[in-house]
Amino acid sequence: MKGIHFTRKQLCIPYALFLICFVIAPLFVIIYYAFTNGEGRFTVANLTGFFSSPNTIGTLAYSFGIAIVTTGVCLFAAYPIAYILARSNMKKKHAVVMMFVLPMWINFTLRITALKEILTLLEGNLAYHPFLNSVIGMTYDFLPFMILPIYTTLMNLDNSLLEAANDLGAGSIQTFFKVTLPLSVPGIVSGIVMVFLPSMTNYVVLDMLYNSTYIMGSLIGSYFSAYDWHNGSMIALILLLIILVFTLLTNRFEDETSNGRGGALL
Amino acid sequence: MKKSVNRIVRIFVAAVLCMVCLILPVGNRVMAGGYKSSSAADVSKKASDETMSSDEEITLRVCNWEEYIDLGDWDEDERIDLEDGTEIIGRNSMVEDFEEWYYDTYGVRVKVEYSCFGTNEDLYNMLTLGDVYDLVCPSEYLIMKLMAEDRLVPYSEKFFDEHNDLNYYIKGVSPFIKERFESNEINGEAWSQYAAGYMWGVTGIVYNPAEITRAEASTWAILNNTKYSRRVTIKDNVRDSYFAALGIQKKDLLTNPDFVNSDDYHERLAEEMNDVSPEMIALVQDVLQDSRDNVYSFETDSGKADMVSGKVLANYQWSGDAVYTMDQAEEDGFMLEFAVPDECTNLYFDGWVMLKAGIGKDKAKQQAAEAFVNFLSRPDNAVRNMYYIGYTSVIAGAADDDTVFEYLDWCYGAEEEEEDVTDYQLGYFFSGEPADEAYMITVPSEQTERQLYAQYPTEDVINRSAIMQYFDDDANKAINQMWINVRCYNLEDVPMSVWIFCMIAGVSVLLILMSCVMEKRAYKKYGKSS
Repeated sequence: MKGIHFTRKQLCIPYALFLICFVIAPLFVIIYYAFTNGEGRFTVANLTGFFSSPNTIGTLAYSFGIAIVTTGVCLFAAYPIAYILARSNMKKKHAVVMMFVLPMWINFTLRITALKEILTLLEGNLAYHPFLNSVIGMTYDFLPFMILPIYTTLMNLDNSLLEAANDLGAGSIQTFFKVTLPLSVPGIVSGIVMVFLPSMTNYVVLDMLYNSTYIMGSLIGSYFSAYDWHNGSMIALILLLIILVFTLLTNRFEDETSNGRGGALL
Repeated sequence: MKKSVNRIVRIFVAAVLCMVCLILPVGNRVMAGGYKSSSAADVSKKASDETMSSDEEITLRVCNWEEYIDLGDWDEDERIDLEDGTEIIGRNSMVEDFEEWYYDTYGVRVKVEYSCFGTNEDLYNMLTLGDVYDLVCPSEYLIMKLMAEDRLVPYSEKFFDEHNDLNYYIKGVSPFIKERFESNEINGEAWSQYAAGYMWGVTGIVYNPAEITRAEASTWAILNNTKYSRRVTIKDNVRDSYFAALGIQKKDLLTNPDFVNSDDYHERLAEEMNDVSPEMIALVQDVLQDSRDNVYSFETDSGKADMVSGKVLANYQWSGDAVYTMDQAEEDGFMLEFAVPDECTNLYFDGWVMLKAGIGKDKAKQQAAEAFVNFLSRPDNAVRNMYYIGYTSVIAGAADDDTVFEYLDWCYGAEEEEEDVTDYQLGYFFSGEPADEAYMITVPSEQTERQLYAQYPTEDVINRSAIMQYFDDDANKAINQMWINVRCYNLEDVPMSVWIFCMIAGVSVLLILMSCVMEKRAYKKYGKSS
């Protein structure tokens, strides 16, 4: 009875194929388009064009603006909730956490459409507050992504550290700022990464809430629908690089803090 | 024990792999076709079951706008009973009916692979990226582009033979549409050689008469009218917006009696509305920037719902969607009206064209494609499509077949007891004689400002209409750039307070970071010394 035997390597083949076809190859296509012009010749005009045009810089700034404000609002809304949930002795804690995750089970266009009607009731005319509406929509959409990681780190926080802080004479406020907050930084960082990056490009929310200003995602879309693959690809590539730099930075930050934490604990 | 578990896992993995192999090609097909209506998919399944019995079968790949053909399944009470006794009802989808009709008529089986596209730009991208279709239905400017790129197969001579009873298109097409298709040329070849019309219409403003007067709505300037700030929507596509902005920019010229009454009015109007000089593009950009600060939204589809729900008071709309919006509002118990701007309106067509990449030299396939167009042009089928989608068919009906006109009468004709009625002239469309008594219907007066006016505009509307040409690459690029300029955020718009806030935020973040680093260094020093 020998039969067919799959080694671990062989089992990786389907995923590797998927990776090559749908991740690696498209990346090369994007790079090819980003650095060629209409005649297929090499050019860096798309790159210089991106940084010399007030449009793209303005759009980049606007996207950053939306993303920063959304992330900030999410963080300030999510941290207290996660903290209270994690520290409380409630019996049905998981049910409450579930309540915050529940909206994610409902299709997001449906949620935004509902939000649109609610905001119309509150504001009267949505068109007067496009920036505010976009931030509300994004916050509504991404809040669970901020709550969950913070909640998990706070749950795993070693209680004896807090007790030690108390024993050594720290008040509750001091304990929070000297112990709890620094130890929850990894959760905060992963929450920020999960919220910041999608809110820079999620233009569907803007479209549905009648914000007619372009963000990075819509700018790429508008180039593509005008058959201009080259400029669109360049913007996509630059966005990719921004995200890469951002991820590397936060990774380093995370590592440092965990090292630092280790040092502090010793 | 462990061995048997291992075996089960192996069998399971093998089974999953086999399934993936089986599913992939099917998935590919569905993806390549994009959206497939369920009925069409059923049909193709049925047809493929029967492939064994018939030795030749033609596959016709058709790509049309979404929701742009009758899908059948009407309720019995939706039946259209015309006065001359004709009864029209869509039981099956138009595609199914065509397959059946083709087999009955020619004895050859055709399988229609029906799929849809969302915008002309999407269709063009699909064609460029290698999707192959035989018959597609783009708007006039994309037809012109495809003609200029030599990607179309001309209709055969047989198609234009008026003596053949099955040539419903050439027998039924409105003289008005026929004239436009023959007089518009690309590189010396008339549209009519490559394109057969399907639906047509004009652009205008749907508005709420309780809040806006008809005079205010009858101009493109309503988009920039601050009186209705944030209560009007504009189209989220560069061509339609450009046209409206031209109308605003050239309002004085276009409404000047000297200009309107000049001998070469139509030629000059067409020229003015296709003005893509750099100076004009710059002016249009200013106009559209004003619009952007004044309108409720740039919409592609949401405008209809926002109009019906009362969020906006007026919206820039294509005539077919205007009919739909007014119908919906009427169901909700309030009335909307349609106005065509006094300056000028955009006359548009959607038409069937055959692609070289799909048809090639396959005569049997070309015949099936032409038969498909003819079948859609059969007056009762034209009525079915019009009833289902709300747009206006190019078909006027043959000399011996007045089904389309009867349908209009059935839709809009005044009841006998009604008092406030108007005679509505449609001779220009049905017979080519504007004052033809035979094609005049008596309608309730309100219809001259509502659905009928949108679906079949009056002759004076047609008189001030212009076709928007397709622009060459340079002009296209300039216009698209202008559109991006309008839509992108301008850094100069940032208020001073935000700059100050950003600076304070940046400085404080720096300070916090620095204090963190200092603290860490202090820790390190302390650690080393201990």
